[in-house]
Amino acid sequence: MDNSTILETRDLNLWYGQKHALIDITVRIPKKTVTALIGPSGCGKSTLLRCCNRMNDLIDSSRITGNVLFNGEDIYDGHADAYAVREKIGMVFQKPNPFPKSIYENVAYGPRIHGVREKGALDRIVEESLKGAALWDEVKDRLHEPALALSGGQQQRLCIARSLAVEPEVILMDEPCSALDPIATGKIEDLIIRLARNYTVVIVTHNMQQAARVSEYTGFMYMGELIEFDETSRIFEDPGEELTENYITGRFG
Amino acid sequence: MKKEQAAPVPFRGFGRFRRPEAGIDPSSAGATRQLVDKIVGKLLFLVALFAIITVFFIIVFLLRDGYQIVLETGVWSFLTGPDWNPAGYNPAYGALPLIVGTVLVTALAMVIAVPLSIGTAIYIAEIAGPRTREVIKPAVELLAGIPSVVYGFFGLILLTDWIRIAFDQPSGSSWLAGSILLAIMAIPTITSVAEDAIGSVPREFREGSLALGATHWQTIRMVVVPGALSGIGAAIILGMGRAIGETMAVLMVTGNAAVIPDPITDVFSPVRTLTGTLGIEMGEVAFGSLHYHALFGVAVVLLVITLVVNSAARLIVSRMQGTARPGPHRALTAVASRITHAASAPFGRVVPPRTSQRGAFLLMSLSVAIVLAALGVILAEIVVNGAGAITWEFLTGTPSDLGREGGIFPAIAGTLYLVGGALAIALPLGIATAVYLIEYTGDGPLTRSIRAAVDLLNGTPSIVFGLFGFAFLVLFMGFGVSMIAGQITLGLMILPTIIRTTEESLRSIPGSLREGSYALGATKWQTISRVVLPPALPGILTGAILSIGRAAGETAPIMFTAVIFSSRHLPSSLTEPVMALPYHLFILTTSVPGASAQKFGTAFVLLLLVLSIYLAAILVRRRYNHAKVM
Repeated sequence: MDNSTILETRDLNLWYGQKHALIDITVRIPKKTVTALIGPSGCGKSTLLRCCNRMNDLIDSSRITGNVLFNGEDIYDGHADAYAVREKIGMVFQKPNPFPKSIYENVAYGPRIHGVREKGALDRIVEESLKGAALWDEVKDRLHEPALALSGGQQQRLCIARSLAVEPEVILMDEPCSALDPIATGKIEDLIIRLARNYTVVIVTHNMQQAARVSEYTGFMYMGELIEFDETSRIFEDPGEELTENYITGRFG
Repeated sequence: MKKEQAAPVPFRGFGRFRRPEAGIDPSSAGATRQLVDKIVGKLLFLVALFAIITVFFIIVFLLRDGYQIVLETGVWSFLTGPDWNPAGYNPAYGALPLIVGTVLVTALAMVIAVPLSIGTAIYIAEIAGPRTREVIKPAVELLAGIPSVVYGFFGLILLTDWIRIAFDQPSGSSWLAGSILLAIMAIPTITSVAEDAIGSVPREFREGSLALGATHWQTIRMVVVPGALSGIGAAIILGMGRAIGETMAVLMVTGNAAVIPDPITDVFSPVRTLTGTLGIEMGEVAFGSLHYHALFGVAVVLLVITLVVNSAARLIVSRMQGTARPGPHRALTAVASRITHAASAPFGRVVPPRTSQRGAFLLMSLSVAIVLAALGVILAEIVVNGAGAITWEFLTGTPSDLGREGGIFPAIAGTLYLVGGALAIALPLGIATAVYLIEYTGDGPLTRSIRAAVDLLNGTPSIVFGLFGFAFLVLFMGFGVSMIAGQITLGLMILPTIIRTTEESLRSIPGSLREGSYALGATKWQTISRVVLPPALPGILTGAILSIGRAAGETAPIMFTAVIFSSRHLPSSLTEPVMALPYHLFILTTSVPGASAQKFGTAFVLLLLVLSIYLAAILVRRRYNHAKVM
């Protein structure tokens, strides 16, 4: 397994106004793996995720110190371009957010904005992306129907397909299953595992079983700090910190 | 590690369409789209800046010129001076009779309109079945679509006559006539806002009350109406604002003598309002004279009233949106205790609930009947008499003999020119400003003051725009009475509406869609143009069409800026004056005796034009709502 680091934070601190939301986070995310971030609500795991593709830029009051390196380049560097960063590091959100367009147009949106105009190329990308998100068979006969007519789970897989279509290297997932039923959740989890062959996936989850099922590495966060980061099996079987153990065993959170 | 494959779809990625080595530095393609993004952002900023400066400029211009009269006479004697006589040997500029006139006309109009509107609103929201509602609601909205000059025409031709005969008065042009017309015009505003408020009272409150054994009427009276009270209050204030700002209809039927009724309750006395004064005197005023400044003083008084009314309505609405709404809860307890009381009272001490319900429902049906009757009479009068006047020659010919002969084609075309020009000015400005305000700026003190200024102009009476257009464009800029001056004036009038409706449409697009687009690496402008604007477009379009309808029916902003009464040809350039339907009807009605067929015909054509514009808006909105359900 290729364990070289793709994404790395160094002494990352973030404030929302006065609130110190991330404290000295230093972590290395290995390439082509699934990494889970767990921890109680408000611990900063979603914030950390949103730092990794500069989605926090959209929040006016946020302020950041430290570095986030993607393939060794600092994404907050003056030369780095937030749009190019997000092209490389995609994101899937908690609630499925398909655009009010057709299924096809949702997937084609990304390639289009990055300059792909040729119909044949778009068709191919749409098909491959939908296959990659395990949605093709369900929607191939109704590609031009509105995306909002899909079920919640299908919508979320469409959102995954949408982010695959711009060929990112990293896909950040912010509690992607929290709005879905168990069957849809199962499908997304299978998909996540499969995606890790070609992509690096970082997933924030509330569900510890989910973290155990899908991830190879797990980070436990508490009150804005990264308490522990290790292989998932270690975190769940033999955590190094008492805090982690208490959380894992359900004593709080 | 569990890494079993779920489905046997081999996935190897697909043909790269970009340079695989591209890092996070902007590539050359990325640089172009970023350049576009920056340029569009700057452009939007400039356009928004221009629109915002214009908005502030109008306000400052009015204040500055209105300040002069205050310097001359003093604030107090301007506001409380008992004589308004600018044309006399000893000109007097006391605005008191005008202020009293406005207050009296508005107050009586509210006395008539409020019970009818609220009765109708309750009927529509609570009592009517879906079928009935489908009929009554559009009918009430139709009342809002009738141009004010058409109301004035109806008032002058019929209402004043009825009043004269029924009450045996020397003249029917009176306070009462003005108030009745204004009441009819305020009813749709009050009804629709109040109905919204009633409809938004949570179902649980109704069910809670009904489950206690309350009758439907008890539930309405003690739970629903108290729960919607602040919304109903806002509705009344908005209706009042509509009445205060109205010019043409009032000017045509109130007699316009600048006197305070004596006794003050004499509803048959003629009165003159602030807006009417501007409408009557603006055309004959010399630039920079004391009279000119006095008229600006009147406009400022109107502006201040607008500000007060708007702020009051907004305050009520924002309190309504607050989380604390104890009203209905308390009301539920009240219902419970009332019902127990009623049950324990042996006989008749209280009216039996069923009887009072029957009475109340009867009263509400009655108010609906009155509102529908008013609409029916106005429409029937104009359609029956007007349709007969429509001939091919009338629609395509040019007027002769002061409009007594010939057709109104130049007026129809002129109205379309004016409206088209206004839209061409206001639509790009308004949309760009709204996009900038919503998508590019935070909610700082600056944006808040911009919104406040836009809101202020949004509620400003149209005659005030007429005054601004006349003073600034026609006189100061030297455009003269011209099509372009009218187009700009109308454009400025609808600009605040377009900004507001566009802002609302944009705000209704969820932030998650924007995030979804950004997460794919889209630039700001790509996100706005491809993800935010398309779903917002129907809302923007509806707002634009509604403001066209309003512009097409307006007389006050164009009568001193753009129009002439009779013209044999169409304007050949923007600097020539045009004919317009509302103004044509106004002059025919007030200054040309006879020509009854032409008057009704013009009113009919104007009504038809404006209502078909509104119909278009309704169709767009319906399609949009339909599409949203999918």
